[in-house]
Amino acid sequence: MPPSNARLYPPLWRRLYSVWFRHVRVYTRHLISNGFPPFLEPLIFLGGIGLGLGDYIGRMDNMAYIEYLATGLLCTAAMWTAAFECSYGTFIRLEFEKVYDGMLAAPITAENLIVGEILWAGTKGVFFSFAVLCVLSLFRIIHLPHALIAPFVGFLTGTMFGALSLLITSYVKTINHFNFYMTGLLSPMFFFCGVVFPISKLPPQVYPIAQILPLTHSVRILRAVYLVQFDALLLWDVSYIVLFITLISFFAVKRLKKRLIN
Amino acid sequence: MKPAPYVLSTTDMAESVIKVEKISKSFGPIRAVQDLSFSVSEASCFGFLGPNGAGKTTMMKMIYGKATCDRDCRGTMDIFGFDPRTDELAIKNLSGVVPQEDNLDEELNVIQNLMIFARFYNLPGAVAKQRIAELLDFLELSEKTRSKIRELSGGMKRRLVIARALLNEPRLLILDEPTTGLDPQVRHLIWDKLRHLKRQGTTILLTTHYMEEAFQICDELIIMDKGLAILQGNPRQLQRDNIEPYVLEILDGQPIDELVRGDLLDSVRADISHEVSRLYADEIDDLQQIAAALHSDNYLIRQSNLEDVFLKATGRSLNAAQ
Repeated sequence: MPPSNARLYPPLWRRLYSVWFRHVRVYTRHLISNGFPPFLEPLIFLGGIGLGLGDYIGRMDNMAYIEYLATGLLCTAAMWTAAFECSYGTFIRLEFEKVYDGMLAAPITAENLIVGEILWAGTKGVFFSFAVLCVLSLFRIIHLPHALIAPFVGFLTGTMFGALSLLITSYVKTINHFNFYMTGLLSPMFFFCGVVFPISKLPPQVYPIAQILPLTHSVRILRAVYLVQFDALLLWDVSYIVLFITLISFFAVKRLKKRLIN
Repeated sequence: MKPAPYVLSTTDMAESVIKVEKISKSFGPIRAVQDLSFSVSEASCFGFLGPNGAGKTTMMKMIYGKATCDRDCRGTMDIFGFDPRTDELAIKNLSGVVPQEDNLDEELNVIQNLMIFARFYNLPGAVAKQRIAELLDFLELSEKTRSKIRELSGGMKRRLVIARALLNEPRLLILDEPTTGLDPQVRHLIWDKLRHLKRQGTTILLTTHYMEEAFQICDELIIMDKGLAILQGNPRQLQRDNIEPYVLEILDGQPIDELVRGDLLDSVRADISHEVSRLYADEIDDLQQIAAALHSDNYLIRQSNLEDVFLKATGRSLNAAQ
């Protein structure tokens, strides 16, 4: 007779929540060192661009350049944090700290664990976008209320880059391999996905590449809502993001599971 | 600590709660576990012994779904009525696992580590707090409640991992080398706690390199080598059946050819490694007779133990995996 209470393990949402909660708990344990820099970074940006570069570049796409860049930054903040969390962070938990081995002894499947990880990346995206939003609206660089879409786009961006980074991590053998990811993929996205200048200015050979990179779509959705300029392209952006998250998460779970389960 | 929440009857004692039949697992060309079969009765302790790379850990991981058996494996596993391949969560919910490495969350302190785990089991806050206090007391860690993991000694970390495994009042406790690298005091403490849990009705699976550990707490054990079960049975029985009761250890590598002659050739078995010669015999007199003829007193006559059985079964030389 199987023990009758054995099947009373926590339901799916509860399992995902407890994985997510573990990350929140660890993150909030060092509230000052983890929570302060996200607010500091946009200040540095303000100093750097506002004092210097802003004088040389007047307007871009009908926005003050500093405002143009600021709206892009709302997305890249989410991109960077999610990417770091699910590359270096995940790899350290996987290979060095062996945290996952401990967690997988509890009633949690490898799939739950990986999806929880992606949701946590999305959450960090919310927080980082929100931090940038706070600072930039405080200095009246960007105006409310439409900029309030930022944390939501931050979630989508964080989730996309969380999933993508986990997929990359599933291939990585030593932690140094992430250098290729950071310099080879993320840095180019920062510069060529419409954050710093419009992708319409890209050479025609490069333009299609920008169109298939994930950051382009986050930035476009954010600016569209911010400027209240909607067009049909927005549907493509939304579908892209949904599709990207679904597909990349699927492969990330599939591949990373092999590293968690012998 | 409260006893497990069910009543143990004498009929339960004999019932097998774990039945494993012909399970195999390969990593590429390496056959980690080959056609392994065993069963474990409730509230008993079952041990896996064997050199590194024998397949002990892999077998235990397959029980709670951390490893999967070969895709073409036709064997069966029944863990408290559940198959790990389809009911991983149910098995994890009734088990506690102490992995080989102390994978505690270094970023959290002692109580936070346990609270996070209590959440994995969906224990309500008040229940979790009380249970944690009981467990820290049980494993003599109450003073370390707020300590950082880095501040704990190896023995404390190990006890904390055991406390973590006991959070959900498991019916099955799985321990992978629970006392490797620990000092004798901690080892004896852990053995005491395991005996206590067994008496309360917890079924225990463990791997170990320590023959003494197996002898102390295992009711039944398997000696494995290269994925195969070599010997299986009760430790005392295994010792009785597989090894002569007395050993003469000659520690300075003296040649023994001249010592073991005539009738002794029939009654004494020699096992010679580079530096130490071990002579096994049924009669202690035979060994004393040989010892008397030695040129030095650098020898020891002792009772044989499970380690002798182990080395006889698995050989003295190292294999590639060790």
